[in-house]
Amino acid sequence: MTTKVLGIETSCDETAAAVVEDGRRVRSSVVASQVDLHARFGGVVPELASRAHVEHIDTVISEALLEAGALDVGAVDIVAACHGPGLAGALLVGVSAAKALAVTTGLPYVGVNHLEAHLYAAWLEEPDLEPPLAVLIVSGGHTLLVAMEDHGRYRVLGQTVDDAAGEAFDKVARFLGLGYPGGPVIDRLAAEGDATAVEFPRPMRDEGLDFSFSGLKTAVVNHVRRNPDEDLRDVAASFQEAVVDVLVRKLVTAADLARAPVLVLGGGVAANSRLRDRVAQAAAATGRRAFLPPLELCTDNGAMIAATAWWRWERDGATRLDAGVAPTLALPSI
Amino acid sequence: MLILCLDTATPRVSVAFGQDGAVLGEVELGIGQRHAEQLAPAIEFLCHHLDVQLAHLAGIAVGVGPGLFTGLRVGITTAKVMAQTLRVPVVPVPSLDLVAYPLRHSHRLIAVVFDAKRHEVFHARYRPVPGGVQRVSEYGVAPPEKVVAELLASADEVLLAGDGVTRYGEFAALDRAEVAGPEFAAPSAAALVELATARMEREEFSAPSQIAPLYLRKSDAELAKRAR
Ligand SMILES: [Zn+2]
Repeated sequence: MTTKVLGIETSCDETAAAVVEDGRRVRSSVVASQVDLHARFGGVVPELASRAHVEHIDTVISEALLEAGALDVGAVDIVAACHGPGLAGALLVGVSAAKALAVTTGLPYVGVNHLEAHLYAAWLEEPDLEPPLAVLIVSGGHTLLVAMEDHGRYRVLGQTVDDAAGEAFDKVARFLGLGYPGGPVIDRLAAEGDATAVEFPRPMRDEGLDFSFSGLKTAVVNHVRRNPDEDLRDVAASFQEAVVDVLVRKLVTAADLARAPVLVLGGGVAANSRLRDRVAQAAAATGRRAFLPPLELCTDNGAMIAATAWWRWERDGATRLDAGVAPTLALPSI
Repeated sequence: MLILCLDTATPRVSVAFGQDGAVLGEVELGIGQRHAEQLAPAIEFLCHHLDVQLAHLAGIAVGVGPGLFTGLRVGITTAKVMAQTLRVPVVPVPSLDLVAYPLRHSHRLIAVVFDAKRHEVFHARYRPVPGGVQRVSEYGVAPPEKVVAELLASADEVLLAGDGVTRYGEFAALDRAEVAGPEFAAPSAAALVELATARMEREEFSAPSQIAPLYLRKSDAELAKRAR
């Protein structure tokens, strides 16, 4: 007997739903991205995101069920939604949809922590993965360094004190006039540039495991103002190298502390090609394995919510229907 | 014909089941802005105590605003997803209508105003007609003084209703106006039972995916962009 979970994710700018079996096998995964909607504002506009979620949620859910070969929601065993952290108005849509399904069918509802879901995305690609792991979650919303000691046992070792890593990419890209989202554009441009051209600061590189990116962003702005003729490809490559340097160094330190033989990446910035290369190199150099999930599992998706709900259900059972959303929810740390 | 009716356009959560146009039971929760926590349990409570099964629903009616955006999104998402799952149609009804309808026995011009925050109200005007009310204005969003000025300019005797009346002192300037009691301050799902049953019978319904909130207001970011 397998347990099928329908997972719904609406915490930011993706309306997503997926069906996953036993926390590991993805039967379907549908993501309606709102990137184009927010592009002209240079960042996610919460009210627009919430409106788009309401518009697309029912279609995304039915597509996910259809793709999984489920005639209707009665073919799944658990309905789950991300209940935080995230944008309050956006989270409400996914949670309301999941509860509506639960009330209609009598199925249990499980509310899922978005950060925990980024950790469990790894099991969708690698079903036999065993903790301990050192995980770096980097996106427009989060920069989090986690030692996953066991299922349900996490230690948050570091996080950003100002901007998230993805936010730094967005802000620098906007300043350089490269458009939105910043990550992919900078990644592409940097591939043609010289990463050693400009020696940007590596903020807090040797101080603890927290991150800071706002000073780096300011350094880029100041450098470009003083050197208007600098090749943007070199600026992009040098900036990216500074971010990646800090991220990789701290991930390895975290793995040392956690005695973790595996390095894992998650979050949208995990799509960055330089970051992936450097994590793979660092793993090889320290006798570890690097686990770099494919892009569609790194960015926000319903499958990671469904996978996490399965693990949570095994431990804690259903979430009450009178539970709300938790926009500032933290990863449960031991 | 069994229908589920709900409205979440104001701080209240209002849910009712109707059978052939009569209210079987209703839940009104007024502690405010806890739509996501209260709506699903309220539906479950009614199902249990009225001994009705959602599988027997002929349709779902939902108040689509204008009103609090977060509340509307909870109600409309719930209605859409339930209707899609049960394969039944949805009857969308503007929430201001749900306050005006129970006042149809008045002889006055009915002005319904909801607090829209930021010193604005969502508003519409209605005239009592045999068997109901007829809307005689657009649905709008405006500062209370503007709505007051429009009402002063008309010669009509006015009946004011909705939570905007007590929220904004400007409405006190309408000294000849009557104010409906607090039971008419928010949309009631019980009124929706009557209104929606008739529409359901006339097949004036929509597919779940077509239901959207009546926002009336653009997002702040869009407004800022346009101003530039
Ligand atoms: Zn995320």
